[in-house]
Amino acid sequence: MKAAHNPMPPPPPHSWSGWAFGIALIALVVASFATLPLKWAEFFTPDAVHSTLEFLHGFVPPESGSGFLRKTAIATGETLAMSALGTLLAVLGGMLLAIPGAGRFGRVPRAAVRAVLNVLRSIPELVWASILLIAAGLGPFAGTMALAAHTAGVLGRLFADALENAAPLPEQSLRSNGATPMAAFFYATLPQTLPQMLSYTLYRWENNIRAAAILGVVGAGGLGQMLKYHLSLFQMPRAATVVIAMLLLVALVDAVSFAMRRALTR
Amino acid sequence: MLELRNLSKTYASGHPVLERLSWTFRAGEFVAIMGDSGVGKSTLLNLIAGLDQPDAAPDAASILLNGAAMSSLDDDAATRLRRARMGFIFQAFHVLPHLTLRQNVALPLLLNGLPDGRAGEMLGAVGLKGREHDYPHQLSGGEMQRVAIARALVHRPALVLADEPTGNLDPETAHAILQLLQTEIRASGACTIMVTHSPAAAAMADRVLRLTKQGLYETTAVNSGSQ
Repeated sequence: MKAAHNPMPPPPPHSWSGWAFGIALIALVVASFATLPLKWAEFFTPDAVHSTLEFLHGFVPPESGSGFLRKTAIATGETLAMSALGTLLAVLGGMLLAIPGAGRFGRVPRAAVRAVLNVLRSIPELVWASILLIAAGLGPFAGTMALAAHTAGVLGRLFADALENAAPLPEQSLRSNGATPMAAFFYATLPQTLPQMLSYTLYRWENNIRAAAILGVVGAGGLGQMLKYHLSLFQMPRAATVVIAMLLLVALVDAVSFAMRRALTR
Repeated sequence: MLELRNLSKTYASGHPVLERLSWTFRAGEFVAIMGDSGVGKSTLLNLIAGLDQPDAAPDAASILLNGAAMSSLDDDAATRLRRARMGFIFQAFHVLPHLTLRQNVALPLLLNGLPDGRAGEMLGAVGLKGREHDYPHQLSGGEMQRVAIARALVHRPALVLADEPTGNLDPETAHAILQLLQTEIRASGACTIMVTHSPAAAAMADRVLRLTKQGLYETTAVNSGSQ
C-alpha cells in the first residue's frame, strides 16, 4: 500500500536582512580588490619567479654546525618558555578578571571588567611588545608580558562566558543546602567549566608559540630575534635552520596540545 | 516546630502570589502540599528555606523555626541555618556530576565541618551500598533521587523540604522512592514538607494541605488535585 503523500509545511519566510547582508559583503570584497594596488601580473613575471627561486635557493642547505644548532636549541627553549609563561600568567589574570566579568559582583563591575578585557585583547601582541620593550628593554621579559597581556584579554573573556553559560542548578542546589557563595562556586560551577577552560588555554598556548616566534622580530628574544638577525645579514642557511626549528616547535606543541584536549573532552 | 505567620509574597511584576498565609507544622510530621500550577507552592518552599524574603508587611509576617525568627535573618545567618538544620530534595536531583556518590552525600557534613563517616551509612540505607565510588552518570533517575534523599538527611536536619521529588520518575520508581523517603524521615524524626502535583505521592504523607489563592487548608481528598 502506498503511503499517503503529506506535503512538507512551507519553509519559514526568508528575511530580507540576510540577502542585504550577503550583497553588502560581496560589494565590500569587490571594492577591496578594486581599491588595493594588487599587481598580480607583475608577481608572476618570469623575472619575479626567477628571483624568488634564487632567494629560496639561498636557504639550502640549512646550517647544521653543532655550535649553531646549540644556539638554535637555546633560542627554541626561550621561545617555548616565553609562550608557556605568558600563557600561565594570562590564565591567572584571565581567571581573576573572569569572575567579576561573569557578573558575580553585579552589573557595573561586569561591564567595567569586560571593557578592560576588550582593551587587553584588542591590542595585538606585537603592539604590546613594542610598548613593553620601551619599559622593560630588549629580551624575552617584554615578549612574555606582551603575550600575557593580550592572552589575558582573550582568556578572560572566554572564561567569563564559560562561567556565565554554566548550568546554574548545581550551584543553586548547593546554596540551598547552605553552602557559602564561594564554596558553591568552587564545588559546582568551576568544575563544570574547568575542562572547557583548559581546552581554551591549550589552544591559546598553541597560538602563543607562533606569536612568541614572531615577537622576537621586534627584539623580544627567542627564535624570532635570531631569525631577524640572520635574515638582515643575508645568512640564509642559518635563517633556514631557525625556520625549521620554528616549524618543529609549532608541530610539537600542536601535537601535545591536541592530545591533551582530546584526553580532556573524552 | 515551624510556624508561618501572615506570610505574603508579591512577585516583582506586582502579581501577588501568597496573601497572609499562616500555618504551624509539627516536628516529625510528613506534610504534602498540593495546588494548581502557579499558586505559589515552590515560592512557599523558597520562603521557608530563606532563599526568598516575604513582603514586608505591617502586621509582622514571620517564619519561626523552633521559635527562632528566620525571616529576620541576614543572608549569612540564613545560609548557616539552612546548612545546619535543613535538607533539600529537588525534582531534577541536583546531584553534582563530577563528585562520587559518597562525596555528593558527604557534602552537607563537610559544609557543617562534621566527619563524613555517615555518608556511607546513608548510601547503604537508601540501597546503594557498595556504590560509594560510582559517579552520577552511572545511575538511573530513581537511583539519583536515592542519592539526593541520602544527601538531604545525612546531617540529621530538623526540616526537609522536597519540591516535586518524584516529578521526573516513572510511577513504579516514584512509589519506591516515596516509601524510602517515608521510612527515612520516620527514622530521622525530621519534619518534611513536600510540594507535589501527584495524588499518589501526597497519599504517602501524614497530612495533605491544599494551597489556593485563599490560603492553606487541610484536605483528605488528595485525588481531586490537579494533575
